[in-house]
Amino acid sequence: MRRTLALVLSVSLLAAAGCSGSDAPVTPDGLAGPLCAELPAGDEPGNPTALSREKAGEALSWITVLTTFDGAMRASELLPELEGKQAITVLAPSDDAFAAKFSQDNLDELMIKDKDTLRTLLRAHIVDRSLSLEDLRDADSIKTLDGTTVRVSSADGDMAQIGDEARTVCADYRIANGRVHVINHVLGNLPTTAGQGDSGH
Amino acid sequence: MKHRRSMVIGLSALLAATLSPVVTSTAAFAAEPNQVTDLTVSQADGFATVAWTPVDGATDYQIERTAVDAAGNPTDTARVVGVWRPNRQINNESPTFADAGFNPGDRFQWRVRARIGTAEQPYSTAVAGTTKAPWGDPTTAGQNLRTQWETTNAAQYTSDVNEYAYTAEVDRLSERVRVVEIGRTVQNRPINMFVIGYPTPPATPAAVAATSPLAVNCNVHGNEPGDREACLIMARQLAFSDDARTLDLLKATTVLIIPTINGDGRAANTRGNTTGQDLNRDYSLIRQPETAAYVRMLRDYRPVAGYDGHEYGNSQAGDLPMLPPRHQNVAQQIFDESLDMIENHMYVEGAKDGWWACPYGCANGSGVGLSEETILRNTLGLKNTVNSLLELRSSGGATRPDESNTANNRRRKTFSALWTFNQFMDYHHAQVGDIKKARGEAIEFQAGNNGRIVFRGSRVVPLHPAPHPGEAGPREDLPTADMILDSAPCAYKLTEEQYNGARTDGPNDVGATVAERIAAHGWKVVKVADGYIVPLAQPERGLIPLLLDEQAEEEWVSGERVYPTLTGTHNGPLTISGFACLSGATVNGPVNVRPGATLVATNTTISGPVNAASAAGVFLGESTLRGPLSVANTNGPVTVIGTKVSGPVNVANNTGGAAPYIAGNSISGPLSCAGNSPAPTNLEVRNTVDGPRAGQCATL
Repeated sequence: MRRTLALVLSVSLLAAAGCSGSDAPVTPDGLAGPLCAELPAGDEPGNPTALSREKAGEALSWITVLTTFDGAMRASELLPELEGKQAITVLAPSDDAFAAKFSQDNLDELMIKDKDTLRTLLRAHIVDRSLSLEDLRDADSIKTLDGTTVRVSSADGDMAQIGDEARTVCADYRIANGRVHVINHVLGNLPTTAGQGDSGH
Repeated sequence: MKHRRSMVIGLSALLAATLSPVVTSTAAFAAEPNQVTDLTVSQADGFATVAWTPVDGATDYQIERTAVDAAGNPTDTARVVGVWRPNRQINNESPTFADAGFNPGDRFQWRVRARIGTAEQPYSTAVAGTTKAPWGDPTTAGQNLRTQWETTNAAQYTSDVNEYAYTAEVDRLSERVRVVEIGRTVQNRPINMFVIGYPTPPATPAAVAATSPLAVNCNVHGNEPGDREACLIMARQLAFSDDARTLDLLKATTVLIIPTINGDGRAANTRGNTTGQDLNRDYSLIRQPETAAYVRMLRDYRPVAGYDGHEYGNSQAGDLPMLPPRHQNVAQQIFDESLDMIENHMYVEGAKDGWWACPYGCANGSGVGLSEETILRNTLGLKNTVNSLLELRSSGGATRPDESNTANNRRRKTFSALWTFNQFMDYHHAQVGDIKKARGEAIEFQAGNNGRIVFRGSRVVPLHPAPHPGEAGPREDLPTADMILDSAPCAYKLTEEQYNGARTDGPNDVGATVAERIAAHGWKVVKVADGYIVPLAQPERGLIPLLLDEQAEEEWVSGERVYPTLTGTHNGPLTISGFACLSGATVNGPVNVRPGATLVATNTTISGPVNAASAAGVFLGESTLRGPLSVANTNGPVTVIGTKVSGPVNVANNTGGAAPYIAGNSISGPLSCAGNSPAPTNLEVRNTVDGPRAGQCATL
């Protein structure tokens, strides 16, 4: 079921009127999603307008809920390649998403010792062209850089569903060569290890 | 409570009846049933303490915050920022809630309402206030320094480069601060430590040690950076604040702040260091350069108290889970004093300021790391340092609505850490006498080689009765039978290979030798003809077997257990050649330690003079000498701790390496020391001496 442009526009207008709640308004900064209200806005450091001119690596370092993804991207050494591309879409899982997916030991293993697996994992979060939230909602599937085809669709709250589990929670960050959408689940096919072991202390 | 409540109702009824225009307090308008009254909001660094009078029958309370402009008009939607539950604090009569997670300096109004069951009761009257701006006058040099975390409104953590620049500026602009590099990380990042005192920090590590310093370890897990930001702010406050409290603190002691022990992990946002090693599983083993640097710092600066900062994901736990050193080899006095710090200071002050300190491991919390000596909390306890773990709850949860890893979540964590570390300094300031007493007794206890050895296993932390009725407490974690050695050896003997052999357990398969690690811990070792003897009659007796006994869970090597050579009574003179270990023995006569011989005596009574000339080592712990003691020209270690001597004590010309320990002894007679190199130390455990103290022991 595809939405019309008019519908999307009306959502924007509602947002401008200051609505809030689960219907995921488009913020004055052009973002959409329930998590956006918690992220830098307006003229704050890391605001979306400032990030729109930045390369992927710099932009990721300012979106506060992406510290794990940001660290993983740096560890993977994929950034120069991605920043050199004409256009990309980054589906960036939040820190909460990573915490729900991997144990701390597993994360350190990926980031320090098993960088090939890490790169494959991260490529499962990158698309080789720039896709807006609306594009994602309109598309049937996307192909990520790891070669996987992932079903996408529109989701409640004017969000996009990515695969079976992930959903955008703050979408439409513009960066110099594309878009970043914060999502709430880790993509790819690695096993879930969260809760294994215990990383207390 | 009932009395106070009915008084409020009575007053408002009276006011309503008389239509008095005079009274405008919130109490006066408690017109609606079950409305929260007497709301007050007080501002502190990065948080606001919201307090109110309890409502009879309330199940919990919701705290609402709304951004307002100077005229008091809302500029954003109101949101419930917290839920107060009875398990938050030890005294439910005066509920408080520390609201944090806002941009410091912004203006808000707060309201509180009770819920009875799930039924929401009327909100209190609103109280507005401007929160405290980031600490430091923006126009005063030094005070105006800000970290990257502060200048980016917590959107970014302070980078390594920014930390070093900030640290260097604090160092340059404050007479009170000396920044020392205590080591380097695997990737060669400097590991810095702020040494802060007033008017200037003492010049040497030993001089710092003499002030009974306290140490805050801010960031061992690279992906848990909240405490580190608090440490950097606190360093600025200590360096440039002229308020009476700060000056009093710094006149009395020295504050040691280690912002980033794991700089590589912080830069990469990994838990471990760059080898993947969790450094908080390495403080005893010191396989990594970061932990080795920390342990050498402990050896040289001898902090009497510590905190170790972490973050923690359990959404059901309190704001600030804490835990004392529970390993059963930690002296009881250190455990007790640490628990006192948590329960009788942090819980009490938390109830005043609205922070929820709680035992780590409660409410389905983590069950790991309770008795691992590899964890700094236990390592510090085994080094006779009063201390606690600190976790900052990183998730939102029922009492702090979900915040994810947002700027506001980061601010709450960091300012809760700042509160804790400031309370830690206050506790130290108020209780340093008790802390030193506990430490002194612990050192004497350990040097006496008392009791069984537990390799792994915890002391029970009794559930505090007030804040957690009916909840599960920290796991018991008692030692299993295979982790107990009832009959403690006197010493461990290592072969040349064990002591000096190459090791592969460090970065890039290269590890420091056991000899180097023992030196980093500061243990005393006797060189004998066929190896190296590490007696247990020394302050870190609790830690030594955990690294040298084959029964231990994570030992370096399986040293040979050396058992006492005399446990009963010996009548007549005793001449020692080779190695002798007296444990619980009685010698009715003089003891003569021959050149090259080693004497270890614990809980032993010797009636007669003890004379050691050119010995290989002398260790006396919790013993009684009815006669003079002379230790001269020893080629190895000398330690006399917790020992009662009836007669003069002479310690002269001992040059066998590290400083002789002359600590916590009771000497009926003069104490004179001369020609020792290095000079003896009392480890800040003062000796009681009837006669004059002379020479190198004049101040011991």
